[in-house]
Amino acid sequence: MADFLGTPFLWVVATIVLYGIAYWGYGKWIDRRVWRSDAKRTTPAHMYMDGVEYFPVSRYVLWGYQFKSVAALGPILGPFIGIKFGWLPALIWIIGGNFFIGWLQDYGAMMLSVRKEGRSFGPITYEFTGAKGRTNLLAFVLFYLIIISAAFIALIAVFWSKYPGTFIATVGIIFAGVLCGQLLYRVKMNVFAVTGIGLALVVLSIWIGVYTSAQWPSSFPTVLPLGDWTVPAWALLAVLILYAAAVLPTPLFVQPTNYLAFYPAYAAIILLFVAIACGAISGWHSLVSSSSSSKQLDIETDALPVGGGAMLSEGLLALVSLIAYMVLAPSFFAQGNYPSWVEGAIVLTSPFLGGRAAAGATLTVFFGLVLVIYALTVQALVTRFFRLVSAETWSEGRFRVFGNKHVATVVGLGIPWAFAVSGSWWALWLYFGGSNQLLAGLAIMLITIHLAKVRAPTRYSLIPAVFMIITTLAALAWQVYFFTKAVVDYLNGSSTGIFGNVRAPINKAPYALVALGINAVFVVIGAVLFLVGLSMAIRLFRSYLSSKAEARVKAPAAADGGTRER
Amino acid sequence: MTESKDPAKPKGRSKKVKEGVKGVLYGMAAHGHVTAALRTRMYLEHLFMFITLGDMLGVPVIPPYYSLRILPYAVPNIKSWKQRVFRERDFTDQVF
Repeated sequence: MADFLGTPFLWVVATIVLYGIAYWGYGKWIDRRVWRSDAKRTTPAHMYMDGVEYFPVSRYVLWGYQFKSVAALGPILGPFIGIKFGWLPALIWIIGGNFFIGWLQDYGAMMLSVRKEGRSFGPITYEFTGAKGRTNLLAFVLFYLIIISAAFIALIAVFWSKYPGTFIATVGIIFAGVLCGQLLYRVKMNVFAVTGIGLALVVLSIWIGVYTSAQWPSSFPTVLPLGDWTVPAWALLAVLILYAAAVLPTPLFVQPTNYLAFYPAYAAIILLFVAIACGAISGWHSLVSSSSSSKQLDIETDALPVGGGAMLSEGLLALVSLIAYMVLAPSFFAQGNYPSWVEGAIVLTSPFLGGRAAAGATLTVFFGLVLVIYALTVQALVTRFFRLVSAETWSEGRFRVFGNKHVATVVGLGIPWAFAVSGSWWALWLYFGGSNQLLAGLAIMLITIHLAKVRAPTRYSLIPAVFMIITTLAALAWQVYFFTKAVVDYLNGSSTGIFGNVRAPINKAPYALVALGINAVFVVIGAVLFLVGLSMAIRLFRSYLSSKAEARVKAPAAADGGTRER
Repeated sequence: MTESKDPAKPKGRSKKVKEGVKGVLYGMAAHGHVTAALRTRMYLEHLFMFITLGDMLGVPVIPPYYSLRILPYAVPNIKSWKQRVFRERDFTDQVF
């Protein structure tokens, strides 16, 4: 029995079978019974067709797009954090979380948006909870984005310092991206030719990364000889690149770079079949589902393969990612060595590529680069989004300076930078995970409200929503308590707590006051996230109760207990 | 000869699979970029329409003589322009 449980292969088979049941059994059942998707009903893509935002797209294209958009980075590391608590709970969460909650959120968000004329979550929140609810959501999203940014910037900086050569390779890819953008839009070269040139440059960048790290193992382009200040300095470099990405026009920088970055990332999947997956549940997905996929859904019945199917496939990738960690010896985790995904990936792939001695250096740069470039491209989008949300929040009034393009970008990168270089990885990650999954809970709650309004069965989404909201709020509260305790301990004379929550170089006695300040800021951020999330949850729950009551009053005395949704 | 007995069915299926794979690859690699480019063009078109028809909206941008000359190019776009400009847009629409 122990042998059986210890074999990853059997778990992969079991997960595939269970996901199959989730899709063809539970999924189809929900699709028929709860949402009653109807291929004949006109979707927003047809109703409002304009060839730009609203137009029908084949389900294959949309699946590819949705999968690419949801399989972001967080996740590579998600299973790693999970495995700290033992790999079995991590596995159970990847299977069970996705079975009952994950796909339901992505699919439900898409269906909700389709039924609401392709509107995204902002207007839907406004409809369900009023103007205050929407402002509340806006505030939550701002904090959420800051936390995401901090986690990603920390990740980029740590990888650059941990895997020499990846920085040079990253810079090479960015140059290649900008060059390709110019070739594509200025010179108007053929897309295939540009892609070919770009890929050659990507390979060249990786080669340069390997070469420089072998040639200059201890000077600038490979490592920053700054001692404890290395990570903050790398983080600052990342922030400068992201600043350019956020303020320059997209065709100049972000778009071609993202396009090129896609190829090494997927080459990594092919090499390893490990990707990059959140695995169970992420609130970001509901934003994607309702933002653009729902406007391009050809027929309603495509929502299950596109929304639910993409999410379940992502779960499979998370599983493989988890296995990449499982092949490592437990001693590896004991040091809190989170870049170990790269190690696991090398252990798995090097036997096929001529052994560790031959391919190790190239693979290190390659896999390290894949992670960095993924984080960087996703973060470029997040920073732009932060800028847009700031412009929306402070478009007028006394604080309108914060809506300014440059001010918003500086704020959206400066605060996360400070967190990234000061806070410990765990602190950032747990806040990130908490707010991300809380957003997922809130999204499922919106879906539930809609179902209540149209008198469809609500319990299949209400239970997951309540579960997600309560667990994530509890996690946030626990974190706040944890930081508060560190501060209180310091005031009582013990400073181990506050130093444990911050990163070098400020985790030593001369910086005690700085460390204390950082802890205090984490208390405030956590408390705000908790309170804003709680008030949003209360608003949504109230709206749910009133929708339920309203639907009950309106119910006709029909024999079948209700009518079809109109 | 046995192969050509029922050529329609296997061919149709392999074609379908090919199209599906092509669609998935296109969706992962390019679809987002294509829509982004379309959106950029949409905003430029808004600008064009605004410059041309600005006078009628009470915002004189260019002298009516020129807007009259450009009018034939603007007229076919009026319907979709109106549709797009009147559409409610939210920050959550801009995630991707």
